[in-house]
Parts: sequence; C-alpha cells; structure tokens
Amino acid sequence: MLDVEIDEDRHSEHMLLNMGPQHPSTHGVLRLILELDGEVVVKAEPVIGYLHRAKEKIGENLSYHQFIPYTDRLDYLAPLANNVAYAVACEKLMGIEAPPRANAIRVICAELARISAHLLGLGAYAMDLGAMTVFLWTFRERESIYTLIERICGARFTTSHTRLGGVARDLPEDFLPLLDAFVKQFPGRCDEYEAMLTRNKIWVKRTRDIGVISVEQALAYGLTGPNLRASGVDYDLRKVHPYIGYENYEFDVPIGSVGDCYDRYLCRVVEMRESARILRQVLETIPGGPVLNRDERVLKSVFPEKEKVLTNMESLIHQFMVATESINAPPGECWFSAENPKGELGFFMRSEGGPSPTRMRIRGPSFANLQILPELLPGHMVADVMAILGSIDFVMGECDR
Amino acid sequence: MSTLTDHGDPAAGAALHKAFPAFTREPAVYRGDVTVHVDAGHELDVVRYAKDKLGYELFVDRFGADRGEDAEPRFDVITILYNLKTNRRLHVCLTLPGPDPETPTLIPVFRGANWFEREIYDMYGVRFAGHPDLRRILMHESFTDFPLRREYPVEGRGANQAPRRALGGIQDATDGHVAVNFLPSVPPPAGPHAQAGGQDVPPVGHVRPEGRP
Repeated sequence: MLDVEIDEDRHSEHMLLNMGPQHPSTHGVLRLILELDGEVVVKAEPVIGYLHRAKEKIGENLSYHQFIPYTDRLDYLAPLANNVAYAVACEKLMGIEAPPRANAIRVICAELARISAHLLGLGAYAMDLGAMTVFLWTFRERESIYTLIERICGARFTTSHTRLGGVARDLPEDFLPLLDAFVKQFPGRCDEYEAMLTRNKIWVKRTRDIGVISVEQALAYGLTGPNLRASGVDYDLRKVHPYIGYENYEFDVPIGSVGDCYDRYLCRVVEMRESARILRQVLETIPGGPVLNRDERVLKSVFPEKEKVLTNMESLIHQFMVATESINAPPGECWFSAENPKGELGFFMRSEGGPSPTRMRIRGPSFANLQILPELLPGHMVADVMAILGSIDFVMGECDR
Repeated sequence: MSTLTDHGDPAAGAALHKAFPAFTREPAVYRGDVTVHVDAGHELDVVRYAKDKLGYELFVDRFGADRGEDAEPRFDVITILYNLKTNRRLHVCLTLPGPDPETPTLIPVFRGANWFEREIYDMYGVRFAGHPDLRRILMHESFTDFPLRREYPVEGRGANQAPRRALGGIQDATDGHVAVNFLPSVPPPAGPHAQAGGQDVPPVGHVRPEGRP
C-alpha cells in the first residue's frame, strides 16, 4: 500500500473511473466505481446484482431434488462442490445419511472442484498481472479435470451429480486409474506454477504487502475460505465440522501470516496440493457398496434403481411418486455450510413440511468476500486493484445468486 | 455421521438467554443448531454480548425470512455467528411485525452486516435504522416490490415492474405475428425497406415482399 497523502483541497480534481461490469479482471459482471486521485484509489464502490437470478425464490418453489441443477450455477467454477454442499444440507434437514461409497465419491467431486476452481483463480489472477503463461498452463490441468468430471457424470460443466442420500450414479470402471494418473502428475504441475511465480520478482513485487486484510477486518466482514485463512485464522469447515467423511483423511490447512495478496496466492497453491493428497487417500480407501441410500426409512423419498423402474411395475409407480410428489421434509429449520473453494457456502432451509422449503437461504462466500473492497482498495494504485481482485478470487454467480 | 448435528452449543444459547431473560426465549435446538429468539429492539445488545462476552466473533450470515402474510410477527431476521475458539455456531433470530418492519442496524458490531442488511431490505422490505446506505443491492433500483415475500409470485409480476423499451407499438401485434426488433444494431441488409434508420420501414410482422399479394 502506498502512503500517499490525499490533498482534500484538490477534491475537484478527483476522477471517477467506472470499471466493469464487463472488464476482464472483474471475472464476471462486477462493477466498481473508483474515485481516483491521480493513480491512487480514494474511494471504491462495488455494484453487484447483474447476475441475480432469484435462486432463493426459485428454491422456495421447487422440490428439494428439483433444485439440484440450480446449485450448479452458484459457483459455476466448482459446480460439483455446490452439489455436494446442497445435498448434505438437505440430508441434514431430513435426517438422511449417504452410504460410505457415495461420500467417498463426493469427496472426489469436492476436491476435484476445488483444484479446478483454484486453477482458474490462479490462472486469471496471474494473467491480470501480466503472466499469461500461467493461465494457459493451469487450463491444461483444468482440461484433465473436466475430462474426469465428464467420466463421473457425463457433463463437464453443469454436473448435477448428487442426489439426496447419495450420488446419481457410480463411478465408471476406468475412472479410478484415470484419477490416479492425474493425482500422480498433479504435484509436478504445481511445482511448475510455483516455479513461474513464487520467487518471480515481478510477481512478488506486485502482490507482497498489497491488499493486507487484518484478522479483525476478516472476521467483521465474514470472510471465509482461503481469504480468511491467508489472514491467519485457522478455520476450515472440513476440519472443524467434518462432513462426507473428511475426518478419515489426513491433510493440512495452510494458514497465512500477513493477509496480503501474496499470502492468498500461497494458500491456494498449498490447498491444491493438499486436495491432491486427499484424492490419493480416497483412491486407496474408497469402499464398495451402494451409492444411494436405500434404507427402508428413506426409501420412499429416493428414486428406485433405474433398471427396476424399467422392469418392475411397483418401482415405476415409486419413481413416478418421487418425481411428482418429491420428498416431504419434516418441519424444522437448519443450517449447513461446506468448505467450498471460495469459502463457506451455507444453506439455510426452513421447512413447514411439504415438498419444498418455505425459506431457502444461500450464503455465497463471494458476497461476503467482495464486501470488504470499499475498505481494502482505498490507498492502492489502480494497477493494484487487479491484484486485489485476482487474489480475492470471487465468482459472481454465487455472489448475486 | 453424527458430526452434522453438533454444530451448535446449547450452553452458549442458555448463557445468552440467562443474560437477557426478559427479551430472549429459551434456545431452540433442531438437528444440533441452536437458535436464540430475540424480541424486536434488543437484537443489537444480544449480538454484541454474544460477540464480546461469548466469543462469537466471526460474522457468517444475516438474512431474512417470511412466515407469510397472515403470520404475526411476520418477519424473521436471522444472524449466524461463529465461535472460533469453541468451534460452535449460534443463530440469533429476531422477529419483526408484518406492517412496517424496522430494526436497528448491526453495523456498529459487525461492519460486514452492511450488504447483508441491504439484501434483506431489497428482498423483504425490512428497514434498518442507522444503516448508512440502505439501497437495493441485487434488484434494480426501479424495482418496487419485495420479491422474497411469500405472496410475491415466483414468475414475477411482469412488465409493470421494469419499464419496457418502446418498440413503436409493433410488439402489441396480437394477430399471431412475431415482433422482431431488428434495428438499430444489425448491419443493414440490402433491399428497399431496410435502410437503417429510414422512415419507411413497415412495422415488423407485416412485411410483404413487393409484388406479392
């Protein structure tokens, strides 16, 4: 941060700069109204809402299953992770549990999504600061991940893979060897990115001590995910409230010390390595068995096996009932949040019984993460705005919902 | 996997209720989530106490909920806080009356409440006294309804909400023709009736090539 004295008498000399909503470094449709004194930002006002699609309202008018595809489009850089968070939230509300194999598959999904999202975040971050190669290199690995995701669920982008009580389908037979090959190769790729950036003089100069977020600021603004941890707060939901079996895997949570753009970069790189480490353990320990809960108690609320639907009258009726009437959740309200790539993705659902919630709250981490900009940007040069935006790594899909 | 149902701390909820017995309820627990209900007008003190005395210093979320037009009190404003030392979550639920819902802002305790309160205002019409910038945040400024209220239809209330761009009346054609807004940004095709900006462009939907009946 520059220590520039702002001359109040020359207020009339300030310039308003409208950045976005279509600026490349805004990663979507964020608009920033910057007030500049020369090249220094004196005031910043983010304008959001361009991507608002009324997801909460829609969620209150659809059944629990029908809403799954909408979760793909929250953080659209990690749709699988959103699917997992939503499914677990519904399961918590309804008291359903997924079988162990389904949970292992969900861990694979969530960690692949995390690597993929961080790769894009890192690539775009570096590109905004002029390091084009990193972007191209990270997209090479993202392509491998998309190929894996395609093997999991048939779609590369809009996955909709989870179901209440499990996942849509089991992994194909050749999936685990493919994942194994990726996991073996990936740490070397991380080394390549780090060779490009971590000790790169330009990179360090552009990110170190830029956009420093203190612990107090981070907590007051509700920052979560790598942005909070880079400021030195040890808060990872996979550790403090393990879900889908994260307690079974060994991994470390990187914590920053300064809370600047450089720390946020380092945290994400280490997180990718740790995700690969989790994937390696899943590969070794993935159990067999069903991928959807077929417990008597919840049988009424989940789809029967497709094979039986096509051959058995009762199953066909059952499928019809589930599809049309869906699951009735018990009356009650609960909150579940998952550690998504960008931070804490929370779902609050209030049910009064019946097939859809009367309140569906989606807490997108990017909404909170972006709110700190008016406090963070003033005092920085315009060029640092790109560094800060890149390091915050937001996605407007979940910010505007 | 019982780990999903131990996120709340009933003891903290009880401590909060004990500190403010007159205007909080006994904590409600569902699936391990602990919710303390607070009467209107006292939320700020309760949240400040939870932050300063009970250690709930991470501001996670603040959002509204509607119990329906006939319910009284009608609106809830729910704040979710997190204690990083005990690793437990706390929900503080403020209930507000249906007509004219207003409550003091939480910004003095958590600066991050700013945008969250703007969103509650945008979606439910709950006003926050003392908020420095209470404007709509997700919906357009010209929007007049509060879309997350239960009586608001999911398909919206249509064209009366956002002013439609005048298309010279041609979109009112109801005779089965499709109105296509062709100009001004399409490269002008060759032909007699398509001079860009020309006065003689017949209403779209009624175009007949010359010489044809």
